[in-house]
Order: sequence, then C-alpha cells, then structure tokens
Amino acid sequence: MTDKRPDPANPATEVDVKLEDLVDREGLAELCQSFFTLFGIPVRVLSQDGTLLADASREHEVCNYINTLASGRAACGATVGAVKISEPDESGTLVHPCFSGQQYRIVSIDYEARRIGRFILGPYLPAELTEVPDSLLEVDPKIDHEKARSLLIKVPRAKSDTVQRVARHLKAALDLILFSGHKTLLTSQMHLLSVRESFRELTEKQAKLQEAYDRLKELDRLKSNFLATVSHELRTPLTSIIGYSEMLGEGISGPLNPEQQEFVGTIREKSEQLLSLIQSLLDMGKLESGTMSVRRAHVRIEDVLGEVLKTLTPTARKKGVLLKLEGQGNLPELRADAERLRQVFTNIGDNAIKFTPQGGSVTLRTRLLSKRDGQEVGLALMAPVRAQIEIAVLDTGIGIPPGERDKVFDPFYQVDSSSTREYGGTGLGLAIVKRLVEAHSGTIRVEENRPQGAVFVVALPVAAAEELS
Amino acid sequence: MQLNFAGREVTIKLVYYGPALSGKTTNLRALHELSSAESHGRLMTLETRDDRTLFFDMLPLVFRAGGVPRRPGERSYTPLDPTTGMSLRIKVFTVPGQVLHGATRRLVLQGADGIAFVADSQVSETENNAASFLDLRSNLKELNVSLREMPMVIQFNKRDLAGIRSDDEIKQLAAQGREPVFRAVAVTGEGVLETFFGLLRLTWSKLEAEHQLSRIIGIEPHEFVAVAARKMGVQREVGSMLATCLGGSLDFKLGEGGERS
Repeated sequence: MTDKRPDPANPATEVDVKLEDLVDREGLAELCQSFFTLFGIPVRVLSQDGTLLADASREHEVCNYINTLASGRAACGATVGAVKISEPDESGTLVHPCFSGQQYRIVSIDYEARRIGRFILGPYLPAELTEVPDSLLEVDPKIDHEKARSLLIKVPRAKSDTVQRVARHLKAALDLILFSGHKTLLTSQMHLLSVRESFRELTEKQAKLQEAYDRLKELDRLKSNFLATVSHELRTPLTSIIGYSEMLGEGISGPLNPEQQEFVGTIREKSEQLLSLIQSLLDMGKLESGTMSVRRAHVRIEDVLGEVLKTLTPTARKKGVLLKLEGQGNLPELRADAERLRQVFTNIGDNAIKFTPQGGSVTLRTRLLSKRDGQEVGLALMAPVRAQIEIAVLDTGIGIPPGERDKVFDPFYQVDSSSTREYGGTGLGLAIVKRLVEAHSGTIRVEENRPQGAVFVVALPVAAAEELS
Repeated sequence: MQLNFAGREVTIKLVYYGPALSGKTTNLRALHELSSAESHGRLMTLETRDDRTLFFDMLPLVFRAGGVPRRPGERSYTPLDPTTGMSLRIKVFTVPGQVLHGATRRLVLQGADGIAFVADSQVSETENNAASFLDLRSNLKELNVSLREMPMVIQFNKRDLAGIRSDDEIKQLAAQGREPVFRAVAVTGEGVLETFFGLLRLTWSKLEAEHQLSRIIGIEPHEFVAVAARKMGVQREVGSMLATCLGGSLDFKLGEGGERS
C-alpha cells in the first residue's frame, strides 16, 4: 500500500458494501410484496449472512396440510432449512426442489461483482409437473392422497422461464435500489468527511494564526518597553539642556546680548517641544502597559474646561479662531484626575484649532446625559446605569472622512501621512487622549459637524453617590 | 491496493486528477463507453452542480476470475489466475477540480495506487495545470506520500481545440520529466484507453515490485495489461496503444528521475 491505511469511514477508499446498509427494509418489503401480488410467487430477501430482510409470502394450503402431519412437518422443516442456507454458485441461480413437487429458486444479489445477499422465489409449482410425486404421497403414513393432490393443484403454477424472468426483473429492481442507496450513502459520508477535513484544515490554520498573533503581541510589548526606556533615557540629558539654557538666559553666567538671548530662547523653546514629545511617548508607553497612574479626586468639569480655555486662548487668538465654552451649569462632580482631563481637552482643543482655518470657531459644549432611550437590548442585565457628562469639542475645520474616524485614535496615525502634509504632529496625541478617557471609564468618538468640521465627543461617568460621600 | 485473500480479491485505486474543466469526468465517461458492459459497473457521479463534480465520479471495473471457460465444457480460472481464482477490481475515481474543494480532493486521493493527471492542452491553461499539479503534490504530502513513489501518467487533453501546445512542444515537455505523456481528445474517446492502460501498466509494475503480485495473481506486468484489455472487451492491440506514449517509462522505478515542480 502506498500510504497510510485507508480510512474505513472514507467512501473514496474501498469499503465493503452491505445489503442491509443500502436498502430500507420497509421499502424492500413493499417491493417484495408487489412482486408477490403480481406473480403469486412468494419472495424473501436474505443478507449475505442469512438474515431475513424482507418476506412476502403466504403459506400454501398444501404446506399447511403437510405441517399438520408429524413426518410432513419434519420434512418441510428440513427443506426450508436447506433452502435458507443454500447459496447459488457462480451462475448466480440455484433451483432447490421440495419433496412436495414444488420448487424454490435462489438468486444471488451481487453488487460491483461482489455477493452481498440473495433472494428466494417460491415455493411455486413448476408448470412442467404432471404427476403428484411419490415423495409427497409417502412423506407421512397418515397422508390423505386425495386431499394432498387437490391442495397441490391449487399452488400457483409457473413455467421455468417465467420464474426466471421474474427473478431477472427483481434483480434489476434491486440493482437500481442498491446503486441509488450506495450513491446516497457515499454522498452523505463524503459530506460529513469533507466538513470534517475542512474543519481540521481550519483548526490548523487557526493555530498557526494564533501563534503568529501571540508572537506579534510579544513584539509589540517589546516595542513599548523599548520606547519607554529610550524616552526615559532621552529625557535626562534634555533636562540638563533646558536647565542650562535657562540659566544662560537668566544671565547667571554673565549678561547676553540680544542676539545671544534670542538664540538661547530658541534652544529652550525647541528643547521644551522635544521634551513634550518625549513625554507623550512615555505616556503612551505607560498607558499601553497599564502603568499610568490616575489620581482620582472630586473634579468639576467646568473648572477643568475653564483652565483649558485659558491655556488655548492665546493659540486661538493668534490663529484668528473663535474659542468658546457653552453648556449647562451645575453639572455633577466627576471622580477623575484633573490633570489628565486637562491634558485630554487641551489636546483635543489644540487639535481643533490646528485644523480650523482663520475665522472659524471651536466650541466646547457640555451636557448631562442621564437617560437612555430605553431601546437598547438587555440593559437590565448590565451594570446600573450611571449618568454621564458629555463634553463635545466642535470645530469648523476640514473635518475627518468617515472611514478615518476610528483610525485617528491609533498611535502614530495621521489622516494625511504624506511627507508634504500641511499639519504637523506626532500622531500620538489622540491615541493618548483615547487611552486616558478609557482610564476614566469614559468613551470618545468622532462625529461630523454640520455643515463643516469635526466633533470630538467625550462621555465621562458621573461619580457614584457612594464615591461622592 | 487492497489485498483480500478471504474474498480472493485485489483492488487497485486509480485517480484522475487535474484542474477544473480539464476533462477528468469526460475521460471516465469515455472509459465507461469503451469498455464492455460485463467488465464495468455503473459510472457513479456523486453530487454535481451545474454539471461540475462536487465530490467524485467513480467507475468500478471488475475482472472476475473464472467463469470464462477456454473451451466449451472446460472450467478454469484463467486467464487472470490459474491457481487461486483471484479477481481484480479497479476503481477509477476523479477528483473535483475546482480550487475550493481541496479537502475533498485529499479524501479521494487517500489510498490511490496511481494517478492520471489530465491537463488542458490550451496554452492559456498552463498556469491552471501547474497550480493543480502543485496542489496534487501538497495534498499527497499531507497524506505522507511522495510524488516520487506514486505512479503517474500525464494526459494532454483537448487536442482538438485551437490555441493548444503543438505536438512538438509536448514531446519536448515529455522529455523533461519521467512521467509517460499521452495526448487525448476525451470527448471523442481518443487517447482515453491509451492513458488508462499506460497508467495501469505503470501502476501494476510498481505493485509488482512491491508486493510480487505476479506470485499472488500469477500474471506478469506485460501480460497483465493485455489481459485487462481483453477482459474489458477492448479489441485494439495493447502494445500499439502504449506506444503512443511520449517520454517517460511505463516501468516504474522508485527514486529514478526527478520530480518536476
């Protein structure tokens, strides 16, 4: 054999076909019955091991009579027993005589040239029989010759070639049934096996993908670690640069002329920029590794936004963008890290101003969300509903295309990533914002501002009563 | 191959492989047509959609031992086997060619003793032929079988179409590999028997080398194909049919030559 042992469940490898597997017994019984009704010859079907699968027969009166006699019963039993175990030879047909003069015709059932069973036609009376045979008249001393003779004549007579034709028809009908049954059996087996094989294939692929995914996750963790370490190491010398340029600028080591003052100022300004960039990287690393500490305290969002407004006003004024704060007063308190929230809204606001052209406006709008619309499914099973404060930052800038709205929160992502892009930035700001909001159990999303611009909507849960007390 | 001593049977499994629409089922239909009714069972086609094979087609060819007396009155088990009365069953399968039925192809390939690769002669189908061949190789690998140890013949089918590779080209291609190559127009039956008997010859020579079948069945490889042809009711002379083969050898030698990739 050229490969692994054939799978016995695989129909595409050789399997022994069994008659009892291919036929429906009730259907087979009906078929036999219809042959019996049509030709008057009893029909029985046996599997290869001799199990009776279908039986369409009625005892002939002569047989009933013989069975009332002791020796007759014994002789009948012996004949029937012999018929049941007789197997036709290669020709496929065997005629077995009965002592009563009747006959049985035993015909093999073959499938793909393999014997899988046989059927028995009879007993019937051969048309050629003219005399009541002595074997019947002598079977029992008590036999009534006249009665035996009159009953035997009632048995349906059949010519040899008629029986042969009946056998041929039945064989052909069975052959078709077997073929159809086999085909259906193979089809259903192939269905099952194909599904199983596909499943096995998918499982293997899934395992490989999982492995690759785990590896990528590990690589991502290493990258974050590296980023954190490098950022930390970069910050140390930078602190010295800032410190010394500050001292230089303050004239501690002697007065500077205006040009020197300006140069030192630039060094300081750029170093501060670099520091904040490194700070972002560090924050990102901490947020990703979950080591960012959030110091929660009672916070009023109006205070936070007021400060953000103060911080951003110079930038907005410089760009000619109108910056305003709208919303309800008396909002409930949050339990949050005020410093981090300031960072969040400064970042979003700064972004909004950056992408809003001169003459546009940036609005910070707050409102309390306390009710759900009651249409959501399964809310009763979820945690108790908490009121949320929604802070929307609306701008009239260039907006964000719908397909990009989720991606803007990915680290290092830029809507316009071309080298000639108009707006600068590291692509870290919004990624940090999202993680900070999530660290406060809040959500952030981007919507469209009509007719123009983008809206960043942050929702933060209001402190629970027990947290406030 | 399966050897069933109790049932006095040898079963050989041949698989027709190849890209979608290359004519595998057509080959089987032609084989069914060209062989005598006594030698074959019904051609079984499992599940088709739009006349495309979904699972497989299967044609059983059975050469019963005995039952064919040499002279009137003489009973003998010749010519298949003079001593043991073994009978031979050849089951010919096709695989579904469409790419998505990979799992089914693998199932059908299981236990194959020989493969006829039915390629489409059209130049435009070159890539599909190659892809199907690579698929065959990887499926065999999944089954722990190397192509080197698998008897295989190649059939370039559809020789009647336009835009096909020329005979010269096919001769050159055939010279490159170790597999015997046949040309065919399966729709008209041309080349179908040649391919089949070529594969049977090659497969038998391998099984003979591995299992000394001549001892079991009592028949030599060179006689075997002729006997099979006679039993199938094929009148044509086997030698001339096998002579249409281009390149390769019809005697299987393990590890000789190289796999083409």
